[in-house]
Amino acid sequence: MSESSLQSRRRVLKNSAVGFGHLAFMHLLQENCRADTVVASAADSTTGPLAPKLTHLAARAKRVIFLFMKGGPSHVDTFDPKPLLDRDHGKPLPFDLPRVTFAKQGNLLRSPWRFQRHGDSGLPVSELFPHVASHVDDLCILRSVHGTNPAHGGALLKLHTGSDQFVRPSLGSWVTYGLGTENENLPAFVTICPTLAHGGVNNWGAAFLPAHCQGTPIGNASLNADAVRVKHIRNQRVDLATQRRQLDLILAMNQDHLDRVGTNAALEGRLNSFELAYRMQASMPEIQDLARETNATQSMYGIDDPVTEDFGRQCLMARRFLESGVRFVQVTHSDSEVQWDQHSNLYLGHTKNAAEVDKPIAGLLQDLKSRGLLEDTLVLWGGEFGRTPTAQGNNGRDHNPHGFTMWMAGGGVKGGYAYGATDDYGYYAAENKMHVHDLHATILHLMGLDHERLTYRYAGRDFRLTDVAGHVATDILA
Amino acid sequence: MVTMKFPFLQPGRVSSSDRTQRARRWFFVLLILLVGSTPGYETGGVTLAAEGTEATNTADNETVNPGQIEFFEKQVRPILVEHCYECHSEEADGGLRLTTRQGLRNGGDSGPALVPGAPDSSLLVEAIRYRNPDFQMPPTGRLDQSLIDTLEKWIAMGAPDPRAETVTSRAPVGMSTEEGREFWSFRPLASPVVPDLSDQDFVRTPIDAFILQSLNERGIHPAPPAQSRVLIRRLYMNLIGLPPKPEEVERYLADRSPQATRKLIDRLLNSPQYGERWGRHWLDVARYADSNGLDENLAFGNAWRYRDYVVDAFNHDKPFNRFVIEQIAGDLLPDATRETRIATGFLVLGAKVLAEPDREKLNMDTIDEQIDATGKVFMGMSLGCVRCHDHKFDPIMQRDYYALAAIFKSTKTFGDTNTGAIKHWHEYVFVSEDELPEFKALDAEIARLKKEASDWKNSAMTVLRTAAHARATEYLVACTEFSQSDSLVRIAEVAAKYDLHPRILHHCRRHLEFNAEHEVFQFWHEVQQGLTDSQQRRHAVESLYRPLFESATAGESKPVADSQAPTESSTPALAEPAFVLPDVKLVAQALNDQSGFLAVPPKPEFAFDPETLAEYNRRMEAARLFETTARDVPSAMGVTDDTVHPRLPIHIRGSHLNFGEEVAREFPEVMRNSDVRPTFPNHQSGRLELARWMANTQHPLTARVFVNRVWRWHFGEGLVRTTENFGVLGDRPSHPELLDWLTRWFMASGWSTKELHRLILRSSVYQMSANHPAASAGSEIDPENRLLWHFHMQRMEPEQIRDAILAISGRLEMTMSGKTVPLRNQQFVFNHTSVDHTRYDSLRRAVYLPVIRNNLYTMFEQFDFPDPTMPTGNRSATVVAPQALLLMNADLVIDSAESLAQILLELSASDTSRIETAYLRVLGRTPTDRESRRVLAFIEQTALGARMNSGILDGDRIKQGWSLFCQSLFASNEFMYLR
Repeated sequence: MSESSLQSRRRVLKNSAVGFGHLAFMHLLQENCRADTVVASAADSTTGPLAPKLTHLAARAKRVIFLFMKGGPSHVDTFDPKPLLDRDHGKPLPFDLPRVTFAKQGNLLRSPWRFQRHGDSGLPVSELFPHVASHVDDLCILRSVHGTNPAHGGALLKLHTGSDQFVRPSLGSWVTYGLGTENENLPAFVTICPTLAHGGVNNWGAAFLPAHCQGTPIGNASLNADAVRVKHIRNQRVDLATQRRQLDLILAMNQDHLDRVGTNAALEGRLNSFELAYRMQASMPEIQDLARETNATQSMYGIDDPVTEDFGRQCLMARRFLESGVRFVQVTHSDSEVQWDQHSNLYLGHTKNAAEVDKPIAGLLQDLKSRGLLEDTLVLWGGEFGRTPTAQGNNGRDHNPHGFTMWMAGGGVKGGYAYGATDDYGYYAAENKMHVHDLHATILHLMGLDHERLTYRYAGRDFRLTDVAGHVATDILA
Repeated sequence: MVTMKFPFLQPGRVSSSDRTQRARRWFFVLLILLVGSTPGYETGGVTLAAEGTEATNTADNETVNPGQIEFFEKQVRPILVEHCYECHSEEADGGLRLTTRQGLRNGGDSGPALVPGAPDSSLLVEAIRYRNPDFQMPPTGRLDQSLIDTLEKWIAMGAPDPRAETVTSRAPVGMSTEEGREFWSFRPLASPVVPDLSDQDFVRTPIDAFILQSLNERGIHPAPPAQSRVLIRRLYMNLIGLPPKPEEVERYLADRSPQATRKLIDRLLNSPQYGERWGRHWLDVARYADSNGLDENLAFGNAWRYRDYVVDAFNHDKPFNRFVIEQIAGDLLPDATRETRIATGFLVLGAKVLAEPDREKLNMDTIDEQIDATGKVFMGMSLGCVRCHDHKFDPIMQRDYYALAAIFKSTKTFGDTNTGAIKHWHEYVFVSEDELPEFKALDAEIARLKKEASDWKNSAMTVLRTAAHARATEYLVACTEFSQSDSLVRIAEVAAKYDLHPRILHHCRRHLEFNAEHEVFQFWHEVQQGLTDSQQRRHAVESLYRPLFESATAGESKPVADSQAPTESSTPALAEPAFVLPDVKLVAQALNDQSGFLAVPPKPEFAFDPETLAEYNRRMEAARLFETTARDVPSAMGVTDDTVHPRLPIHIRGSHLNFGEEVAREFPEVMRNSDVRPTFPNHQSGRLELARWMANTQHPLTARVFVNRVWRWHFGEGLVRTTENFGVLGDRPSHPELLDWLTRWFMASGWSTKELHRLILRSSVYQMSANHPAASAGSEIDPENRLLWHFHMQRMEPEQIRDAILAISGRLEMTMSGKTVPLRNQQFVFNHTSVDHTRYDSLRRAVYLPVIRNNLYTMFEQFDFPDPTMPTGNRSATVVAPQALLLMNADLVIDSAESLAQILLELSASDTSRIETAYLRVLGRTPTDRESRRVLAFIEQTALGARMNSGILDGDRIKQGWSLFCQSLFASNEFMYLR
C-alpha cells in the first residue's frame, strides 16, 4: 500500500469518525486497522471506529479502572514498609540525593504508622488502609515504579500520557484506539472528577488520535461527585418529547440535503450522531443514578458516611460505567487542595486522605469480585509519584519520582504479590525497576495490546504510548 | 593495539576526573532489560562454536591466554548475555553493542564502554555500580554485587575478549544531504511554463490552465461554476468568516457587471474582518494561546498583543517575508519597534514545563519547542526528532539541529521572575521606570488581600483550636462511645451530645488508634478495652484526664503525680494500680501538638461552620477578583538576545547530560543552496541571519510552504496535504508545477498575501461548484478529488459556526482588538483548586475568545479547534456525538435561536414569509413549499405538545416552536457544510 493512499484513508477516517457509535466505514476501517498498525478488525462484524476490536494478544483484562490519588501518596507510609527508616530516624540519608530535587530535604523521617501483615500472602499494609488490607491477597503491589519528573504537572502528564514535554494521547485514549468500546451509546473512556490543574485536559486528551478516543470528563475535581454531569447532557428549556420532535425535524432537513448533494460519509455520519446524542441523554443520567443501587451496596462504598461519601460515589459510578461497557474509567481523589501532597502535615493529611478512600476502594474490590467482574477488570491504584523517606520541614515529605508504589488488582495479575523493591530506605527503585513506560507497556499487555505495535502515524512519525521504551513486567502476570 | 578514544579527555572539554560529569557523557536512554529470560549463549545468529573458543588471537592480534578465555566464557559472557544483550546486541541501544569485542571497545554514542585494565575509568563499571542516579545499568535494577565484582575483575585483567568478529560502523539511517538535494521540496523552485490552454473558457488564470491540464490528462471535466448564491456565501465565509446578509446577497445577484465578483472580493479583502479570519489561520500555525497549559497553567495575560499584531499584519498585507523576519528576529532589526518586538512573541508562545526543576533541561526543552515550531511553521519540516538522532527519514542531521540550537541557546526566552517554583517567560515592558511603582502597588495590594484572607482563616482556625483545647477531656470521653470504623454520621451524634466538633472528634478517635502506645493515651486504651460498662469508661477517662490536662495547662510546676489517680472504687475493673501517670510535659506536648489528638482539620470546608466558611470564601474570591481585574503592566511576550554561544555540543541522545562534538551556528545543510558560509556576528544570537535566510527568495521551502497554506485555507486541502510536513513522510504535491509557479508569482508580487488571494479567488477552479453532474465518473478516476474536478465541501470551523450563529441572530459584537483574557498576566488559570473561572460568554468574534490550553472552550474543542500547543495548518473536521449534544443543548445556540425567533415574530408578516426570512438569514436561500409546510406543521405541533404538558403560556409556546425551528436550522447539515 502506498504511503499516500494509506494516509488518505487515515485522513478520511480521522475526519469522519463518529464518536460513541458506529458508522458505515467498515471497509475503510478494516483496511486502516492493519495488524501491524492498529489492531486487526473482525472482518465480519459490523464495525465502526469504536466497535470492539480483536487484540494483538490474548487479553487478560477487558476494562480498566484507574484510582488516581492526586498529589503523590507516600509509599513508605502505606505499602512499602522500611524498618531501617525507623531505626535511622533523624539521621541523614546514607547515599546521594538525586541530582535534581524539588525542594530542600532534611534527614530520614520514620513513618507515623505501623505496618501489619495481612491475608494468606502476609503482605504488609500500614494501618492507614485497614479495609484495603483485607483484600491484600488480590493486590499486586508494584514497589519499584519510577518516573522522571519531580513536579506535579510533569509527573501527571508522564503518568497519563507517557510524555512530560509534549501533548500526547493519554493511556485511556490509546486503549480506546486499540480496543474500541462495548457500548456504542457511551463514550469508551470516562474520567470522573478529574483535576483541571497540572496538565488538566491533556491527561485525558486524545491529542492526535481520532477524536472518538478523547476521554469524556464528568465534572471536575472542584465539584462534588453527586453533582457532576457530562457537559450539555440536557436541555433545561424543553421537554424530551418536544426535543424528539425537533430532532425529527433536523433529520428530515438533513435527509433532504443529503438527497440533493449525493452520498457523503460525513453528512450521513452526522445524521447518526444526533440519534446517538439523543440516546446518550437518556443513558448517562441512568448510569449516574446511584439511587438504583441497594442500600447495602451504597454502604459498602461508604456513601452513607460523609467522610467516604464523595470518593465512594465516584467508585460506584465507575463500576456502573464499567458494567455498561465503558472501556477505561478513571476516578480522581483530589479536592480543592492537592490532596496527597503532604510537604507538611504528613500525619494529618495522609490520615484524612486514607480515611476518605480506604473503604470505597475496598468496597469497589468487593463489589467487582462478587459480580464476577474483577477477573477481567484491571484495577490500578496510585499517584503521580511517591514521597521521600527524608523529611521536608519537620513533618512532611517531598515529591519522589525515583521509586514509589502503585498497585494493581484483578485483570490477570498475580494477587497477594509484591513486585520489585526500593532501596533500604525507599528512595530509589532498586529491584525489578518499573518505569512509567514499563507500567504502560504492562497495562497494554494485560489488555491484549502490544505496546510496540499499537502505533499511530502523525506528522510523519509512528507514535507509541511508550515512545521508544517500555517493557512488560511478565513476572506479575497471573 | 586498539586505539582508545577518550573524548572527555580532550583539551577544552569539561573536567575528566569528575565522575558524574563523565557519566553524563554516557547516558543510556530508555534501555530495558529482561532479566533471566535468555538461556544459553547463543545470540544474534552467532554461536559460540562458530566463534571458536580456541582462538587465542583476536582480529587485531591482541593475545588472550586460555585461562582468560575460560574466565570470559564462564564468568563474563553469561552476564552480558543475560543482562545486557537484549538491548545492546542487534538493536544497539545508545549505539552500544556488547556482542563483540570491538563493539565494547568502540563503545556507543558516549564513547568506549571500557578502558582495559582500568575499571574505575570504565563507563561500564560506572553504570553497573549504580551510584549515580542518572546513569545506571541494567535499567531494571542493580546486578548482584558478585556479578559487578566479576566484571570489574575482568576489566582489571585487561578485559580479555576472544570474540573475533568485527562490527562495521553503523550505516546512516535517513537520507543523505546529497540525496536530499534531489528530493522535491529541497530542490530549487522550478520555472514551469503555464500550459497553453487559453482557448478554453475555463481558463481565466494560469491556475486554471495547470489544473485543467491535469484534468484533461485523466479525461475528467471540471464542475460547472457555482451558483452566485453559493459563491457569495463561500467568499464571505472564506474571507471574513461571516455569512452575507440577505440584502448583500440580493445586491450581488442584482449586479450584472462582469466586475461584480472582483468588486466583492476587493470589498471583503479590505474589510477589517478579513484580518480577524485570516489572522486566526496564522494563529493556528503559531500555536497561539492565552495560557501556558502543560504543567502549570499561568495566564499569558499579554499574548493578545501578538494576536492583534497578526490580525493587523493580514489586514495591512504585510509582505510575508517581512512577517517571517519580524517573528523570528524582530528585536534585532535595525529598525526594531515595539511592533516588531511583539512579533517575537511567536518564539515565546510555546507550552513550557514551567515548573521543571532541572533548569538546563527546561532550557533545552524550550529550545526544542522553538526549533520544532520554526521548522514546522515556516519550512514544513519536523526538526524536533533530530534532537536525539539524525532524522530517520529526512536529510536532517543532528549537527544541523545543534547548529540551530546554538542560535536559540543564545536567545533569552525566560524572564528573571517566578511564582514559587514556576518560572516566568521573558517580556518587554513598555512603560518607563517611573510608572512602575503604580503596578508594584497593585502587586502589593493583591498580596495584602491574599494574606488578609489567609490570616483571617488562620485566626478562625486558632479559635477552633483553643475551643478544642479547653474541652480536651470531653473529646477523650466522647471517644469512648464509638469505634474507629463508625461513620461520621454516628460520630456527629456523639459530638452533638457533648457539643464537640465532629471532624475533630473523628480525627481524635483515629489518632488514639494510631497512637495506642503513646504514654499519654495508654490509659485511655486500657479503659476502652478493659471496661465494658460505658458509664464506667466515661467516668474513668474523665477522672484521670481532667486533672492531668488541668495541670498540664496550668504549667509544669505543679507535680502531677500527686493529683488524684483513679481510685479502685472509681475503676473497679482496673484493679492493678500499676498505672504510672504520664509525664506532664508529654501531656502538654500532646495538647499543644497541632497534628495531635485535637488537631483541627486543615481544610476549611471541614473545619468551619457554614457562615465562617462563606466569609472565608468571600475574602478569597475578593482577592482573586481584584487580581483578575488589576491592570497589567503594559508588556509583551518576546525574546531578546542572551549570552552568545557561537558553538554548542551535540547532545547525545538528546540528553543535556551527555555531550558530544561541538558545532557552530549554521543553517540546515540540505536547505543551503550557496557555498558561501554565512557569518554569524559574535555579539548577536544569529536569529536575524536565520530569519533573513529563511525569508530569502532562494530558500527552497519558506514561500512554498506558505503558498501551500494559503491554498489549503481556500480549498480545504493543500496541494501538499500535509501542510507541516514537506519531508519524506509528508504528502507529495498533487500539482508540483502549479505550486512552483504560484510560489514564484507570489514572491514576484512582493510576497503579498492579498495578491495571492485575488489570483486564486478569480480562478475558475475556486469558483467551481461543489456538485458535479457526472460525479460518479469523476469519483471512479479520482475519488479523493486530488485533481480538483469539483470544489471540496467543507465543514465550518467552530469560529465560523459560532460567529455565524451570533451574527444571524443579531447578537454578534464587532469590537476589535485589545485584551480579552479575563486574567491578570501570570495569574493561575487553574491552580490546584480546579475551579473553572474561565468564561466564554463574550459576544465578540471568536478570535477574541480566550484560548486556554488544557481547558479549551467546549465549542472549540468539540469542533476540532487545533491543539494550541502544536502548529496546525490543516484542521480536521470530525463528526462526533458531543457536537450534536452541544447544538441541541448549549446556551449559546439556544439563546441565539430564541433571539432569532424574536426577530421573526416581530416582523409584521405571515408565518410563511417568516420562515422564508429565517431560511434566507441562516441558509442564504428561500425554502421550498414542502419545507415551509413541514416547518409550519412542526411549530403547530410544538404548541399542541406544550399545551398537553401545560404550564407554558401561549405566547411562550408559540415562541418556543419558532425558536426550536431556528435552532434546527443552525444544527442542519446545510448550515454546517459550506459548498
